[in-house]
Amino acid sequence: MKTIYLKLFFFLLFLPLGALAQGTLTGTVLDQATGTPLPGVNVVVEGSNNGASTDFDGRFTLSNIPSGATVAFSYLGYRTETITYTGQSNITVSMQEDANQLSEVVVQVGYGTVRKKDVTGSVATVSDKDFNRGAIVTTENLLNGKVAGLTINTSGAPGSGSEIRIRGGSSLFASNDPLIVVDGLPIDNATNTGSTSFLASLNPNTIESITVLKDASATAIYGSRASNGVILITTKSGGKKLSVDYNFQYGSGRVENTVDVFNADEFRAIIAANNPAAVSQLGNTSTNWQEAIYRRTDFVDNNINIRSNLFGFIPARLTLGNTYQEGSRLTNKFNRNSVGVALNPAFFDNHLKFRVNANYADERNRFADGVEGSAISFDPTQPIFDPNSLFGGFFQFDNGVNANGQPIIIQNAPRNPVAQLLQTYDRGENRRFFGNFEVDYKFHFFPEMRAVLNLGFDEANGERSRFVPAGIAASGPTLADVPFGNNDFATEMRRNKLLDAYLVYNKTFNKFNVDVTGGYSYQKFERQEFVQGNQNDPNLPSNFPETNTDTDVVLIGFFGRTNLTFNDKYILTLSYRRDGSSRFSEENRWGNFPAAAFAWKMREDFFKNSQTLSDMKLRLGWGITGQQNIPASNDYLQTYVTGNGVSQIFFGPSALPIAISNRTSPNIKWEETTTYNAGIDFGFWNNRLTASLDAFYKLSEDLLVDAPVADGGNFSNRAWQNVGSFSTKGIEISIDGTVIQNNNLNWHLNLNFTKYERRLEDLIYDQDILVGPNIAGTGTQAQVYREGFTPNSFLVYKQLYDTAGNPIEGAYADLNSDGIINENDKYIYQNPDPDFLIGFGSNLTYKNWDFSFNMRASIGNNAFNQVNASRAQLNQLVPNGFPSNIPVNVLDTNFNVQSDVILSDIWIEDASFLRMDNITLGYTFPKWIGGLASLRLSAGVQNAFIITDYSGLDPEITNSGVDATIYPRQRQFLFGANIKF
Amino acid sequence: MKNWKFRLLCLSALVIIFQSCTDDLDVVLEDDDQFMSEEFFSTPGSYKQALAGVYGNLSLTGANGAESSFLQGIDPGTSHFARCWWYLQNLTTDEVVWSYENDAGTRELNRNIWTSENPILLGMFSRTMAQVALVNEYLRQTSPDKLSARGVNDAALLTEIELYRKEARALRAYAYYVLMDLYGKAPFITENDPLNFGGPEYDRGELFAYVESEMLALIPDLKPARTNEYGRIDQAFAQMVLAKMYLNAEVYVGQNRYSDCITQLNNVINAGYTLEANYLDNFKADNHTSTEMIFTLQSDGAVTQNYGATTVMVNGSVGSIEQNGASLGVSSGGWGGALRIRKQFAQKWDGAGLENDQRNTVISGVRPIDIDDIADRDQGYIVAKYSNISSTGAAGPSTTFVDTDYPLFRLADAYLMYAEATLRGGSGSMDQALAYINALRTRANGGTPGGNIAMGDLTLNFIIDERARELYWEGHRRQDLIRFNRYTGGAYNWAWKGNAQNGIPLSNNFRVFPLHVATLASNPNLTQNAGY
Repeated sequence: MKTIYLKLFFFLLFLPLGALAQGTLTGTVLDQATGTPLPGVNVVVEGSNNGASTDFDGRFTLSNIPSGATVAFSYLGYRTETITYTGQSNITVSMQEDANQLSEVVVQVGYGTVRKKDVTGSVATVSDKDFNRGAIVTTENLLNGKVAGLTINTSGAPGSGSEIRIRGGSSLFASNDPLIVVDGLPIDNATNTGSTSFLASLNPNTIESITVLKDASATAIYGSRASNGVILITTKSGGKKLSVDYNFQYGSGRVENTVDVFNADEFRAIIAANNPAAVSQLGNTSTNWQEAIYRRTDFVDNNINIRSNLFGFIPARLTLGNTYQEGSRLTNKFNRNSVGVALNPAFFDNHLKFRVNANYADERNRFADGVEGSAISFDPTQPIFDPNSLFGGFFQFDNGVNANGQPIIIQNAPRNPVAQLLQTYDRGENRRFFGNFEVDYKFHFFPEMRAVLNLGFDEANGERSRFVPAGIAASGPTLADVPFGNNDFATEMRRNKLLDAYLVYNKTFNKFNVDVTGGYSYQKFERQEFVQGNQNDPNLPSNFPETNTDTDVVLIGFFGRTNLTFNDKYILTLSYRRDGSSRFSEENRWGNFPAAAFAWKMREDFFKNSQTLSDMKLRLGWGITGQQNIPASNDYLQTYVTGNGVSQIFFGPSALPIAISNRTSPNIKWEETTTYNAGIDFGFWNNRLTASLDAFYKLSEDLLVDAPVADGGNFSNRAWQNVGSFSTKGIEISIDGTVIQNNNLNWHLNLNFTKYERRLEDLIYDQDILVGPNIAGTGTQAQVYREGFTPNSFLVYKQLYDTAGNPIEGAYADLNSDGIINENDKYIYQNPDPDFLIGFGSNLTYKNWDFSFNMRASIGNNAFNQVNASRAQLNQLVPNGFPSNIPVNVLDTNFNVQSDVILSDIWIEDASFLRMDNITLGYTFPKWIGGLASLRLSAGVQNAFIITDYSGLDPEITNSGVDATIYPRQRQFLFGANIKF
Repeated sequence: MKNWKFRLLCLSALVIIFQSCTDDLDVVLEDDDQFMSEEFFSTPGSYKQALAGVYGNLSLTGANGAESSFLQGIDPGTSHFARCWWYLQNLTTDEVVWSYENDAGTRELNRNIWTSENPILLGMFSRTMAQVALVNEYLRQTSPDKLSARGVNDAALLTEIELYRKEARALRAYAYYVLMDLYGKAPFITENDPLNFGGPEYDRGELFAYVESEMLALIPDLKPARTNEYGRIDQAFAQMVLAKMYLNAEVYVGQNRYSDCITQLNNVINAGYTLEANYLDNFKADNHTSTEMIFTLQSDGAVTQNYGATTVMVNGSVGSIEQNGASLGVSSGGWGGALRIRKQFAQKWDGAGLENDQRNTVISGVRPIDIDDIADRDQGYIVAKYSNISSTGAAGPSTTFVDTDYPLFRLADAYLMYAEATLRGGSGSMDQALAYINALRTRANGGTPGGNIAMGDLTLNFIIDERARELYWEGHRRQDLIRFNRYTGGAYNWAWKGNAQNGIPLSNNFRVFPLHVATLASNPNLTQNAGY
C-alpha cells in the first residue's frame, strides 16, 4: 500500500494532469543482429511525457497513445527507431547497433554509471579497444598519453610502479596519488614487500575500461580521497556466449643510452693529464661498465580469457595470465601469475544481480641494486673479472687479507658493479587476493529503487629475502673492512576491507528524470610487517626479529548524489559526501564535501538543423574534495615510543631503551581542494570527430604541511598543521577523430593537449621550505616551496661566466649585493613542471592490416642534472686514492671542486621531449582454421625513440625534477599473436 | 502497511549498524613499541625508561637507530646534540675544517659566513629545545598528582622519581646554558606551560639568572659527585655548568664572577676525581671508565648508535692518504679525510717543552700544513686524538659507530679554568693554579716534569693556547676564543676565518649565532640577533 502512496506522491509532484487515455500498445524489442530481446529500451511517445521501458524479455506496454503519435525506441549504443501509432496492438521492433556510440555507452562515475552524453563533470573513459598496445606490464600504462591532464611516469624497472598525476596533484606534503578504485574497491596505493608496485598484481588483460574523474564535481562523491582525482578501473565481466581469447607476446629489449663518461683510452689520458701520480693504478683493459651491468632482456606474456555462461545462467569470465619480464640490470626479473574470475548472474527478471570479481596474483621478483652510480664511476681500465681475485672471481680494489686470512676491502674505493649484481640474491614474492562481491537488487514492488551492497576485500602477503655471501661479496656491509654479507628476511601483510551500501532511485516524470543515489561506505586498512634483520651482522640490534603493526586507518563516509535531467537537455548533478577519518581527532574528524555540476546540451537549442555539428554540450562544475592521506596515522594522539636495540642509554652497567613522547598534532584536519571546471564537448559529422575543451582552477586550502612549530613546545621542530594554499589552473583539449572510414580503410586519430600551472599561494609563516632530494653530501636540497612560485622550483646560485662564455668555477652572482656569497644569494630558476603536454595516437586499419602508434610530448619541463652536478668535477678523478670515472660534461665546464659548484644553475636543463611509446603493425586472419577462429599476428617496437635536447640519460624523470641516476627504460622489439575462438 | 514497517525496521537497523561503525574511527595503537602516555606510565619501570629518553636526546637522534630522528626536515646526524655543539664550538675556529662542504651548512661554518638559513643552527636550537620539551613532559608526567592518580605509592620508587625529576631539571637548565652561550637567547618554557606553547624570549641575562638559580637550588638534592650510576648526572655536573657560566660571565652578562667560579671549581676538584694516567685514555672506546670524567655523552657501537660527535671525530680523523682507520678501530678508510686541522692550531705544538707532549696527536707526513682548497683532503695536517680502541687495545664492536663517549666535562678542564679564573682575579691560589697546570703537563709528558712551566709562564696568553692543546676537539674553542677576545675582530686570524685563506677579521655579531628563520617564524616572540 505504502508503495503506491509513495509513487502517487511523486506523480502528484511531477506529472502534469490531463493526459487523456486513447490506446494501448504492447510489443517486443529485439537486437537486429542476434534476434535476442533487448531489456531496458526506452519507449516514449514523442512530444509527451508518456513512456515505458522494456523488461528482461524485451517486452513493453504503453498505454494512452493518441492515434498518429510517433513512438520512439531508444537504447544506449543503438540507433533510435520510431514508429507511427496507428492503432497496432502488438509490434516487434528490431534495433540496430550504432557503431559510433557503442564505445561511449556508459561511464563509471563512482557508485553508479551515467550515459556518456549525460556526463556533467570532467571525465574521460578509455576502453579496451583504445588501450595502448605493446609491452604493458602494469595497468596504468594502458592509458599513458591517452587522457588529457593525466601523466604517468614509469621507471625502467620491470613491473615498476608509476608516478600517476591528474592535473598535477593537489597537495604539498600529503599524497598526490589519485584514488584508484578497482570494481568499486578503493585500493591502497602502497607497494607491499616483495612487490614492485601496488598495481603490479592487476593483470592489464583483465581490464575492460578505465575512467578518469578529473574535476571535483565528478570526484566529490569520493570525498576525502578525491582531491587528486579518481581512476576507476572496471574489469571485464562474464559473457553469455562461450568465447576464448588467447594472447601471446614476446619482446626482446635492451638499454639504448647510457651516461657519457670517458672510455678507457680517454680515461688514461685525462688521468695522465690531471693526476699523473695515479697513472700507475690504472689497469690495462677496457671495460664499458654501463654496458656490463645491462643485458638484452626477454619479455613473455601469455594470457587467456575465457567467457561463458555457466550452467546457462551465470555469465562468467576466467582470465589466466603469466607475465615474465626481465630487467635490463643483469639479474633483475619480474614474473607474475594471475587468475581473474568474474561472475555476473542475474535473477528474477534482472531484479537481483550479483557481480563477483576475484583476482589473485602471485608476483615473484628478483630485485637488482641500483648500481648505475658505481658503473658510471668505476675505472674503465679495469677488468670485470680477475683470476687472482679475493672476491669471488671479480675484480675489486682490495687490501689483501687480514691476520685471520680474510680478504679485506678498501672502504672508500668503488665496488665492482657487476659483482654487486651477480653476488646479490634479492628475491621477493607477493601474493595478493582482491575482489568484490556486489549485490544489486531492484525492488520488486518498487522497481524505481535499487539497493546495492558492495563488499570488497584486498589482502597482500609479501616476503623478501636478501642474501649476499659473506667474505667474497665486496658490496656487502663490513666489519673491520671484512664484508660479512646479508642474510635478511622480511614479510609484510596489507589488508583493506570495504563495505558500501547504497540506494539508487531513478524515475522519469514527464520531461524530468531523477536519479538519486545515497549510501554509506566503510573502509579499513591494516598493515603488519616482520623484519628479521641481517643474520650475518655480528652487531645485529637486540630488537630483531622485529614485528611492527601499524595503527589501522578507518574511513567512513555517507554520500548522496542527485542527477536531475530536464528534457534530456539540461542536467544538474548535485553530490555530497560526509567523511570521517581515523587520522583526526573527534572534533576534527568529519569533513563535508559538496559538489554541483550543470550540463546543457546546446546543440538542440542552437544548431538543431546543422548537418555538421552533431553534438555540443556545455559543462560547468564546482566541488570541494578532501585530503587526509599523510604518513602519520595517529598524530592527533600523544603517544610514546620506546627505543629499538640500538637506541638505548646506559644507566650503570645495563642499557635501557629510551622512551619518548612522539610529536603530536592534536588539531590537524582535512585539507580541502575546491575545483572549478568549465568544459565544452563538440561532435561533428555524426560524432566522427569529437572534441572536448576543459578549463579548470583548483585551490587547495588548509594544506596539510609538516612545518615548523615553536621549538620547545612540542617534541620535534615540526608537526603536521593545516596552513597555506596552493592553486592549479589549466586547460585540457582532447580531439578524437576518424579521418577515413570506409569498408577497407579506417584511420582513427587521438590527440590531447594539457597545460597546467601550479602556484603556491600561501605558505606557513610565508616562509620558504626547502624540498627535493639530496644533491650531494648531506641535506643539500636544490628545490623550494616559495609563495608565488611553482612547487619544487629550483633554488640555486646564478653562475657567472667569463667573456668567452665559459663558467667560472665557484663564481656566483651576488644577487643581494652584500659582498658575501651565501645562502641569501640563491634565486629561483625554472621548475620541473611542463609548459604543456601532448599525447598523440594513431590507429590505421586497411583490410586485415592494422598499424598503430602512440607518442607523448612534454614541452618546457626542466631537470636538475644531478648526475653531472655531483660527479662532473676533475678532482673526483681520484677521489679516495683510486681513479674514478666522471661524466664527460666536465670538459664543457672544467670544474674541479664539487662543493664549489653543486648548486649552480648550470645544472638545470630543458628536459622537453617527444617519446614514441609504441609502434605496432598487425595482420588478422579472420577465418583461421576454417573459420573457427581468428588470428592476429603483430610486431611492434616499445619505446621506439625519444627526441630531446636534454644531455642526461632520459629527460622523463620522476624524482620531482632531479635527475639522479635512473633505471633506464629499455627499447623492446615485440612480436604478438592473438587467437579468438 | 506491513511492508512499510518492515522497511522502517531495516532502515533503523542500518542506521544502528552505521552508527556503531563510526566508532571504528577511534583507532587504537597496535604496535608493541607504541603506547598511549597513560598506558606507557602504567609500569614502575616506565619512569626510569622515560628518564632515559630525557638523557637520550643528548646522545641519540631518534628511537630507531642512527638514521632516525625526533626532528624533521634535517639530517639526523646534522641535528645530533653533541655533534652540533662540536661543529659550532670547533668547526668555526682554528681547530678543524670539515672537508665535505657539500654537506649543507658546513661550508658556512668552516668559513664563518653563516646566515639564519644554516641547517646546523636549526639542528642545534631545535635539538636543545627538544631537551626542554622532554624535561617538561617528564615533569608533567611525574607530578605528584599524576603519580597518586596512577596509584604509585611505593616509597622507594617515589624517592627515586623525585631524584629523576631533579636530574631532569638540571638537564633543562643545562640546555638553557647551551642556548645562552650559542644564541644569547631562548624561548622560556616550563612544565607549567601547555603543549605547543611558544614561550617568551629570555635574553642572556634572564637565562643566566635562571640557570644559576636553578642549578644552585638543585645541587643539594642531586647525588654527590661520583656517587650516581654511570650515565647520570650529579652535583659536579651542575657545578661545572655554574663554573663555565661564571668564567664567561663577563661575556654573557658583563659581570666579574671569577671568585664564584673558583668556588664551584673547588667543589668539583675536591670531589675525588683524579687525572687519568694516560691522556689519550680519555678519548678511547672505554673512556667512560676514566677517573677524570665528570660527565660524558654516551656512544656505544652495539646499543647506542648515533652519527654524533665521537663517531664523526673518529671516522673523520682518518686520513685520506694515511688510511689509518684500523689503528683507530674503524674501517681503514674511515670517512676519507673528513676532518683536518688548520695551520694555526698545528702551530700550537711548536715551542719549548712541547717536544714530547703526548697530547700532540698531529700527523703531518707528506701533507702541506696549509689548506688552500678545503675540498682537497690531502692538504692540512690531521690528528688522531679519538679512537674506537679501548685502553686495553680492544676495538669496539662496530667499525662505524664508536664506543667512545663524548667528554662533556672533565677534570683537566676544571684545572685550566681554575688557573684562568685565578689569573683573571678570582679567589684562587696562583700556586695551586701552577700545580694544576703542571699536573697536566706532567701527565702529558709521561709522568715526567719535562714540559712543566714556571710561574712566570702562567699567563692568560699561555692559558688560551694551553686550553687548545689540552682540550682541542672537545667543544670549548669558540667559547674560549670569545672570552679571550680573539674570535671576532682581527686579534687572531686563522685559515679561512671570514672566508679568506689566511683569515680576515670577523664582525662582532658573530659572537652569537643567528636564530634560524624557521625558529623565528614559528615563535613570533623571538627576535633575531643584531647583525643577522
